[in-house]
Amino acid sequence: MDLVSLLIGAILINNFVLHYFLGICPFLGVSKKIDAAMSMGLAVTFVMTITAVVSWLVNHWILIAYRLDYLQIVAFILVIASLVQLVEMFIRKTSPPLYQAMGIYLPLITTNCAIMGLALLAALKNYDFVEAVVFGVGSGLGFTLAIVLMAAIREQLELADVPQPLRGAGIALVVAGIMALAFLGFSGVIK
Amino acid sequence: MPSKTAAEDFFKGLWLENPIFRQMLGMCPTLAVTNTVINGLAMGLATSFVLVFSSFLISLIKKFIPNQVRIASYIVVIASFVTIADRFLAAYFWDISKALGPFVPLIVVNCIILGRAEAFASKNTVGRSVIDALGMSAGFILALLVLSSIREILGSGRFLGYRILGTWFEPWIIMVLPAGAFITLGVMMAISIQVERKRKGR
Amino acid sequence: MSLSSRMVAVLTLVGFLSGGFLATVGHLTRERIALNKKMEVERAILAVVPGASAGRIIHEEKDFTVYAGQDKDGQLAGFAVYAAGTGFQDKIVLMLGLDVSLSRINSLTILEQKETPGLGAKITDETSFLVYWEGKDFGKPLSLRKPPAASRESLSASEVNTITGATISSQAVLQIVNSARERIINLNKEGKLNPEGKDAK
Repeated sequence: MDLVSLLIGAILINNFVLHYFLGICPFLGVSKKIDAAMSMGLAVTFVMTITAVVSWLVNHWILIAYRLDYLQIVAFILVIASLVQLVEMFIRKTSPPLYQAMGIYLPLITTNCAIMGLALLAALKNYDFVEAVVFGVGSGLGFTLAIVLMAAIREQLELADVPQPLRGAGIALVVAGIMALAFLGFSGVIK
Repeated sequence: MPSKTAAEDFFKGLWLENPIFRQMLGMCPTLAVTNTVINGLAMGLATSFVLVFSSFLISLIKKFIPNQVRIASYIVVIASFVTIADRFLAAYFWDISKALGPFVPLIVVNCIILGRAEAFASKNTVGRSVIDALGMSAGFILALLVLSSIREILGSGRFLGYRILGTWFEPWIIMVLPAGAFITLGVMMAISIQVERKRKGR
Repeated sequence: MSLSSRMVAVLTLVGFLSGGFLATVGHLTRERIALNKKMEVERAILAVVPGASAGRIIHEEKDFTVYAGQDKDGQLAGFAVYAAGTGFQDKIVLMLGLDVSLSRINSLTILEQKETPGLGAKITDETSFLVYWEGKDFGKPLSLRKPPAASRESLSASEVNTITGATISSQAVLQIVNSARERIINLNKEGKLNPEGKDAK
């Protein structure tokens, strides 16, 4: 698969939220306002890209090289947790405006299954280094697209008269279902 | 905290604090692996294994772990049990392991487990923590079973792989697609909220 | 003991215990998991090469592996080709069985696919798709018949039926098979398809 198809595929077709069901918690939790959703999306994209790089290096240079594949889960989760900490400290030091925009979302990302999922999927699909990075960027952008669209819809939903029991998570899930259906239309665009 | 009976510790996981319908934790695997009942059940059991054993161990060692490094230690404990579950499935149930794909390793970031470790196992006795974990597991499995049964029956006319609806039934393909997962869970969520409101209003 | 040294001690201890424990688990399960993986490929080879009882890798590159299927006496029974390509949704991985002279397709099985259930996923269906590939001429590129022919007999030796409503998935399979065909022919010309390869992993 060439890199452009991989990128488009990761954004539109195999969308992390709507196809792999990864990162549902922030997708439902931080999608009430477009601004917040945008920041969350950026933070996830940022961390995903770095995770793709680091987890590939850890996987190939340490885990596979020394036949430590049984430590994969432990290694990935620790790498991600420390990575998020480092990124948070780094951003706080170097760029206060950026920290303002996405800082508070960074700690939430550690337990975000999308990041762990990215590391695992890239390892499972046997991507080489460049493919893994492109997959990381694409997946992050796909997540951003889904969460921003969701937030835009939910801002409108505020004005709608949703039946009482469906309010909150219920209607959000139904909307996500309809979005997933719409995204199905992208299948086959890479040929 | 008022003292509670073991039964209360267990049964709150089924409904009052059901991890999926009430607390909305662990949504990713709930949506992803409920396309067939067998996948949902395998996922439920694997998650329960990790939840019960890590609650047990964490509650056992909680006194020795300094507060500042507790999350890191919990994560290592949880990740270790997840690895065991993952390797065990790959070694003895290869087909199920392949069908669940990355979702077995992803149990490690299932918020239910770290959530229970932090909110319950780190504060209560070993016995109560295990009962709490068993109750949460039962609630999780229950939710997965309900969801996967609906999706498998409507999506393919089958239950556990056996055809139960005749050939007259045109499967609702949307139910086994991602869209079906979201919509079914959304509707189930609304039903559970409605039931709870009726119960409270009585 | 001061707090920070206790923190370090606890974390190190937890890390060591978990690492040692997992090393044991990893060691105990490694062979069985490797066997499972091997069996899966082996089963697919045996399914597409009739009469074969073992498979050997004779050529390997990314997403493309050629196996020689051998019968009980170690004689060549045919070739199996593992190939992957992009489908409608995600990667399609298939195993193609060829006869000894590389002139005919024995059969085709799909190993992995995530096509739309009920439509594209029919590429795994024996009667509506896979059966049309059996016995096809491997001498020239294959093509799809659309709309599908009513019976197998009315298709030419290099034609297979399209699945109604899943043209793209059908084409994806066709493309994977045809590009595998080109690679096989080139490898054969270069004399790289020596059946005396190493054991299938």
